[in-house]
Amino acid sequence: MLNKVMLGIALLVMLAIAAACAAPAAVQPTSAPPTSAPAAQATEAPAAQPTAAPAAGGVSELKILWAQWDPANYLQQMGNLYEQETGVKVTIVQEPWGTFGDRFFTAMAAGSAEWDGVIGDSQWIGTGATSGYYVDLTDFMNSTGIAKTVTPATLTYYGEYPTGSGKYWAYPTEGDADGWAYRKDLFEDPKEMEAFKAKYGYDLAVPKDYKQFKDIAEFFTRPDQGLYGVGIYTQKDYDALTMGIENTMFPYGGDWKDADNNVVGVVNSPQNVEAVQLYKELYDCCQAPGLSNAFFQETNDAFTGGKAAMIMNYFAFFPALTNPQTNPYAATTGFFPNPEGPNGDRGAALGGQGMSIISFISDERKQAMRDFISWFATEENQAKWAELGGYTCNSKVLETETFLKAQPYNPAFAETMTFVKDFWNIPEFGQLLQVSQTELSKFILEGQGTAQETMDSIATQHDKILKDAGYIKSQ
Amino acid sequence: MASITADSSVNNPISSGRAVARQLSDRAIMNLFIWPTLVLLIAFNFFPLFYSLFLSFTNYRATGNTAPVWIGIENYATILTDPSLWEAFTTTGRYVLFSVALQTVVGFGLAMLIRGKFRGSGLVTTLILVPMMLSPVVVGLFWKMMYNPNFGYFNYLVGMGESGQLDMLASRFGNQAIQGIALASVILVDVWMWSPFVMLLVLSGLNAIPDYLYEAAAIDRASSWFQFWHITLPQVMPLLLIAVLFRTIEALKSFDLVMGLTGGGPGNQTELIAVYLYRVAFLGQFRSGYSSALAYIILIIVIAISNLYIRNLNKIKGEG
Amino acid sequence: MASFAETGPRRPVVESIRVDKVSPGARTTGAVRAMVVVIVALIMLIPIFVMLATAFKSRPDVSASPPKVFFQPTLEGFLYLFTDRAIIAPGRMAEFQAKADAGAMGFLERLAFDTGQEITGPSAYVGRLTNSLIVAGVSTALSVLLGTLAGYAFSRFNMPGKDDLLFFILSTRMLPAVVVTIPLFLMYRQMGLYDTHLGLILLYTVFNLSFAVWLMKGFFDEIPREYEEAALVDGYSRIQTFLKIVLPQSVSGIAATTVFCLIFAWNEYAFALMMTSERARTAPPSIPSMLGRGGIEWSAIAAGSLLFLIPVVIITFALRKYLLRGVTFGAIRQ
Repeated sequence: MLNKVMLGIALLVMLAIAAACAAPAAVQPTSAPPTSAPAAQATEAPAAQPTAAPAAGGVSELKILWAQWDPANYLQQMGNLYEQETGVKVTIVQEPWGTFGDRFFTAMAAGSAEWDGVIGDSQWIGTGATSGYYVDLTDFMNSTGIAKTVTPATLTYYGEYPTGSGKYWAYPTEGDADGWAYRKDLFEDPKEMEAFKAKYGYDLAVPKDYKQFKDIAEFFTRPDQGLYGVGIYTQKDYDALTMGIENTMFPYGGDWKDADNNVVGVVNSPQNVEAVQLYKELYDCCQAPGLSNAFFQETNDAFTGGKAAMIMNYFAFFPALTNPQTNPYAATTGFFPNPEGPNGDRGAALGGQGMSIISFISDERKQAMRDFISWFATEENQAKWAELGGYTCNSKVLETETFLKAQPYNPAFAETMTFVKDFWNIPEFGQLLQVSQTELSKFILEGQGTAQETMDSIATQHDKILKDAGYIKSQ
Repeated sequence: MASITADSSVNNPISSGRAVARQLSDRAIMNLFIWPTLVLLIAFNFFPLFYSLFLSFTNYRATGNTAPVWIGIENYATILTDPSLWEAFTTTGRYVLFSVALQTVVGFGLAMLIRGKFRGSGLVTTLILVPMMLSPVVVGLFWKMMYNPNFGYFNYLVGMGESGQLDMLASRFGNQAIQGIALASVILVDVWMWSPFVMLLVLSGLNAIPDYLYEAAAIDRASSWFQFWHITLPQVMPLLLIAVLFRTIEALKSFDLVMGLTGGGPGNQTELIAVYLYRVAFLGQFRSGYSSALAYIILIIVIAISNLYIRNLNKIKGEG
Repeated sequence: MASFAETGPRRPVVESIRVDKVSPGARTTGAVRAMVVVIVALIMLIPIFVMLATAFKSRPDVSASPPKVFFQPTLEGFLYLFTDRAIIAPGRMAEFQAKADAGAMGFLERLAFDTGQEITGPSAYVGRLTNSLIVAGVSTALSVLLGTLAGYAFSRFNMPGKDDLLFFILSTRMLPAVVVTIPLFLMYRQMGLYDTHLGLILLYTVFNLSFAVWLMKGFFDEIPREYEEAALVDGYSRIQTFLKIVLPQSVSGIAATTVFCLIFAWNEYAFALMMTSERARTAPPSIPSMLGRGGIEWSAIAAGSLLFLIPVVIITFALRKYLLRGVTFGAIRQ
């Protein structure tokens, strides 16, 4: 039987040699997307024909990929309007959040023209731009003036790569960031207010800064009543925990990098260490039970289950909390933007997505996508988008009274969007995320090491990844 | 391929002319029977296997903008010298060991319980098999709900409900982080799901034990312990080993259950090697070269372990 | 066919006549054991009961703490499963309220309104269920067919390197599937198999084949050759022997193989997600997709999982008689 093992190994070696010889031919079609794009189109064209059977030599249907959630349903309604006006059908293809990225990138690696556009995460933009998946929209957005219709922060985070280059790859479609939902019935209960004032010496209200935030969280943590102070992100899968911690990091004045992409001394800055320590304390003292692997659904569930007085979530998930049928506390649910840090800094983790055009489709289809974006970006249609429940990035619509009054969380949203910040968006973001997720999970959830050690470790590992990828010059 | 003979024709001294004819047709039939399977297996495995094997010797990101760069065994060297990967291998080893061992014990116990006929035994057997008929994704989701300290049933079933102190998937009791609970809860789910598989195979082994063995033992007034140890166990052993073999292969590769339950956390407590592999192969990373090398290392481990099992199995079959 | 198998040369033991069973205490021991079996089975099935209960719970009941054992059953979960809905914008609430008050709402529409939602269309679940039936059915049939043929050939004929070939077949199951996803995707797009039923059918067949071949070879190993040899002497051709003598004896093996192949093909998730889009997607990927909204729609997940489970349970129950005798892997030597 040992010879079978030997045979297996020999077979592997032979395969390796054969593969090495065969590989250049096999790999060619995928290795360099710019050159492979025509080939990909050639194979795709026949398949695309039946669906595209055009009326007047034009494009009759556009397919745009997005995650499966309510905003995608709202966008589908916008698409239906577009079809009524122009006859071009717009289909929003929805993939579950957990596998949205896997699906998209796998298809892109194969040069797929399956979709005409994608509403991709802000972190993807570096990959989309540098690997040639997204069409360069710089000229289009400038010449049509669309670039000027959205708020500068959203243009930077959802549209621009590299940051500060003035090159645009996406139209900011769904603005999003983390904010907080809280139980007004608890906060405005006279007995609670009195007890709080007696204990802490100031009035119970929406917290201005994280010191007050922590007081309130501790105040409402009453295991005997089944009530806890907070519900914060802790999930390790992908990016949840890192996003959660950004909500303490940024207001504390911390960041992931400086202007020259340096991380050592930045990631492990005293501000970041303090912020991470705070997050750990919040988790230990006040986190609702069962939120050890928590992201947007779990924090919402803790809130609607009456377990948490305040929960962190993306604004896009707050509509479920204003619905009395899904949230028994809907009538008394309030929302506030991320509190300030000790020095009055503001900041919050960015969510949200921009709409990009896939580069593997034909020129006519690209033009059809541009037409759709032009239509969608008008102030009139952005107002409709906002009315349906979409988070517009249009600066004029965001300022209107109608928008601010449309939803109870809209004022907090508008305020938050002025101070959002994001994680890395370079193609290596996935590797950087894995490091931060693992180290932060060890510290926050398992209590291993100290905040300083955790951030030192992240800084060292990020530094190595960035040096290997050439973002930081090795000394 | 020229030396193909049918066993039966060797055993059958028939006239040589007919034997030749039959040999020819036997050979044609053998080809007809085997080649569709082989062609399908080769067609579907050839490119993916070779391609990923080639990539394992390169620096390549599927979503990158550069072609694969040949770097020899660097990926393998990096993986084998990375302490965090050894940690993942250790966790996987612990997971496979406990999970497969418990499945064997529970599955064997279940089979001993429901062997033989009683009214409704067919229904009971089918119902016990239900967990393995579920999709691992569903199982992961559901047990995450079962374990939830707020609205899950698990804590109440084990009598920890009222306090809300125990959080299995967080590896915590109250404010105390306790190593190992998270891994144990993942193992429990795997055991729940796959013990029925072991039970099924053992049951089929039990069914086939000839009665005269027990009758002879009864005449000798052998204790039931003796019967179990000297008749039941040796007779069932080959099938038990096969069950263990398949479960071991699957457990070494399992990631969907863990991904659904804990996402590999808290910290690295449930970061199995296959979870780690998924993380680097997908989830925004798409490090195809590196992940291919890791996959081949896992493959070699699986092949080695399978060989060990099969060798033992043949020994036992030989004795039997 | 079945009757032939029962009267086969080595009829498996169906009923035990062991000595310990006829001893005086046997009856009570049997009853006690049956009790224990039922209790154990109930414990094993607790999660399934939970699933059943959850499928009929309303959303607040699902996340109630402590978990509710008694509750007002609702069909919300099934509504979530079979329709696409959107939360009614506050501006349009009055319009819907008016319609509801006027009693102008259908049953489902009303159910949706009671949870603050409007139905925007049927969900993709029905179409996906059909796809699941096609893909799982055809691929199971195909893997059982090919597995039976190859298993027979491996059992009866000598060929050089047989053991290695068998090990190769088994080893196709050993590489973590995660890593072949991208190459497979490339291949499928080139071959036009992406997002087709045929593509998924072939993929599942390939995945199931190694198991099917091993299972069937083992089964054939245990069927004595004497009958075949006698038939051959009588002038039957090899094909006739296979069809008329061997196949009828292998019903158990084929049934067991069918069950295993079906369970895999019916539940497969990762490849269904990556290799299909709108046309050929099966049901399993749509179950966790019910997670993506404001909260987890547990009742829909439970309802979907339950409905999805029923066909496999029925088929397994129907084939239970053969299952035990079918999974011997050639490991039983008498």
